[in-house]
Amino acid sequence: MTIGSATTEAAAPRQAGAGARSHALLLSARQFGTVIGLVVLCATLWILTPHFLTVSNLLNVAEQTSINAVVAVGMTFVIVSAGIDLSVGSIVALSGVVLGTTLQAGQPLAIALPLTLVAGLACGLANGALISWGRLPPFIVTLGTMSIARGAALLVTEGRPISGFEPSFRALATGRIGFVPAPVVGMAVIYLTAHFVLTRTTFGRYVYAIGGNEEATRLSGVSVRFHKTMIYGVSGLTSAMAAVILTARLNSAQPIAGMMYELDAIAATVIGGTSLMGGDGTLAGTLVGALIMGVLRNGLNLLGVSSFLQQIVIGAVIVVAVLLDTILKRRDRA
Amino acid sequence: MHRSQMQPRSHENTKKTLLFFVPSCLRGCMFVLLAAVSLSCNRGATPTTAGKPTVALVLKTLNHPFFVDMRRGAQEAADRLGVNLQVQAAEREIDVEKQMQIVENLIQTGIQALCITPSGSREIVSALVKAKDAKVPIVVVDTRLDAKAAGDAGVRPATFVGSDNYEGGKLAGEYLVKASGGKARVGILEGIPGHETGDSRLRGFRDAVKGSPGISIVASQPANWERDQGFNVFQNMLQAHSDIDSVFACSDLMALGAIEAIAAAGKTGKIRVIGFDALDDAKKAIAAGTMAASIAQFPAEMGRVAVESAVKVMHGETVPPEIGVKLEPITKDTLK
Repeated sequence: MTIGSATTEAAAPRQAGAGARSHALLLSARQFGTVIGLVVLCATLWILTPHFLTVSNLLNVAEQTSINAVVAVGMTFVIVSAGIDLSVGSIVALSGVVLGTTLQAGQPLAIALPLTLVAGLACGLANGALISWGRLPPFIVTLGTMSIARGAALLVTEGRPISGFEPSFRALATGRIGFVPAPVVGMAVIYLTAHFVLTRTTFGRYVYAIGGNEEATRLSGVSVRFHKTMIYGVSGLTSAMAAVILTARLNSAQPIAGMMYELDAIAATVIGGTSLMGGDGTLAGTLVGALIMGVLRNGLNLLGVSSFLQQIVIGAVIVVAVLLDTILKRRDRA
Repeated sequence: MHRSQMQPRSHENTKKTLLFFVPSCLRGCMFVLLAAVSLSCNRGATPTTAGKPTVALVLKTLNHPFFVDMRRGAQEAADRLGVNLQVQAAEREIDVEKQMQIVENLIQTGIQALCITPSGSREIVSALVKAKDAKVPIVVVDTRLDAKAAGDAGVRPATFVGSDNYEGGKLAGEYLVKASGGKARVGILEGIPGHETGDSRLRGFRDAVKGSPGISIVASQPANWERDQGFNVFQNMLQAHSDIDSVFACSDLMALGAIEAIAAAGKTGKIRVIGFDALDDAKKAIAAGTMAASIAQFPAEMGRVAVESAVKVMHGETVPPEIGVKLEPITKDTLK
């Protein structure tokens, strides 16, 4: 994967005078830092516990990371465009409920799956439209959707989980392709596709451009409103994809599922080096960020660390990662 | 960026790259530091004595006194029986996906038995299948598994240790019938809808008051086990039905919230509050007269019996499929 090449292209206009090649090197060094963080974390756990570096545990971590990682794909699009999406967790719950209800009604997966993705996409597009055409701050709109989608999920199910699905559907979470768990394969496909979209398509370029300088992008003749709406649509769509994995994994669609997923996804994105100011970030970074969180949780469980201490460690990692990133950016400007 | 045109470009690149590389490594170092810190803290908490078998106790949460008591009981039993006890819990009680991760991770460490209070009666079954595949015996504590979901997946826990929540709800209902003389207008604060624990208590309570025509349930709303929601929901109930004279909360935290709402409405002492769990705060409220009764469970006893049963199963002994832990209504009279 060519880490950081897209950022280079989009960020180049901002860095007037800087050679594009030099910038690419610098950014890959920064991404490299996050990767080093992950490697060092893994090495530490390998030394501390014999249970960490086993094939079954690593597959276990990858499987556990998949849901957060998939939600974080859409979050990366949104944050790169200098936005924020607080509604992803509720959209996971609502689209999961759509999936559960449809399957329970006896519909085949071929109908339930597209319907689920459309539900998530629709929520995202509604967010985007309100932000673009309603000229409302993303924080407010997605905060509202967070409550609306959660309420809708509870209303549809009367608060009760929908559970017990066909083994053919459950295979989406429990199945293995070769020896790799199906959710991990799904995650890989989603990341490769999204990486292509973000780095190799006009839409992807506009995501960076909008995040870098929305006004300049608009003045260049780009329909910022349309593209922003699509960006939130992507976020809704990936949330729905995560809902499919989650529902299959739990064998249950819970209206209370996905609480706080927005914070985990934001954490994965910023640990991965995406700037909350927009215009900068990569999906490779986000994947590494999600893996860091997954490995950390897994490692702390393996070590038997108290669950209270775990929260402190995870919080500290988020703050430290962003702090270092900020320091790096300050040097970048100097 | 404009200033160093004098230097050769390649040199410039190297310098800049290094400049970035060093702090990047710093970030890596921070992770190690944090991991090391957590380990050293951990060493003190749970000494990993080699050779001793490990029993895991996975709780719904550790931010509720009920589960803290359960852990205490379990730890005492583990110390007495000479086994390691690994206690883990999700950050939030309803986060069954996180609980599932914990179970998966613990299986990786080669635990010999698993005691669990399921955050979701059906959802957790997927994780327990993995325990079954790893041949780890399962003791279910406090909240039952969904019989059908477990049966379909072939998960057969060694035993269930807990109080019968239905019986507890019934005790609460019977207390109300007796205390009110069969005439009351009741508001109910429910737990999270769809949770077996709350639903059973509710069923028991409703069945117990069914036979008394003078008792009418005027409102029944979920307050999701939480104190602040108990406050808000009951405050709203009082607005809608000012004639409520009794409240049954499916847990003490919600009951304590309701007591605050009653105080705010200036009705302290005029409304009969019945809770569930007999938490310390609830006992204080009963002593102070702001709460009428609470159904006591004995979580420490549950923890103790769970670990004892797990150890028996580990040694190949058989245990009964269900082990009941007593329940008791606590009132001002029975409070020692």
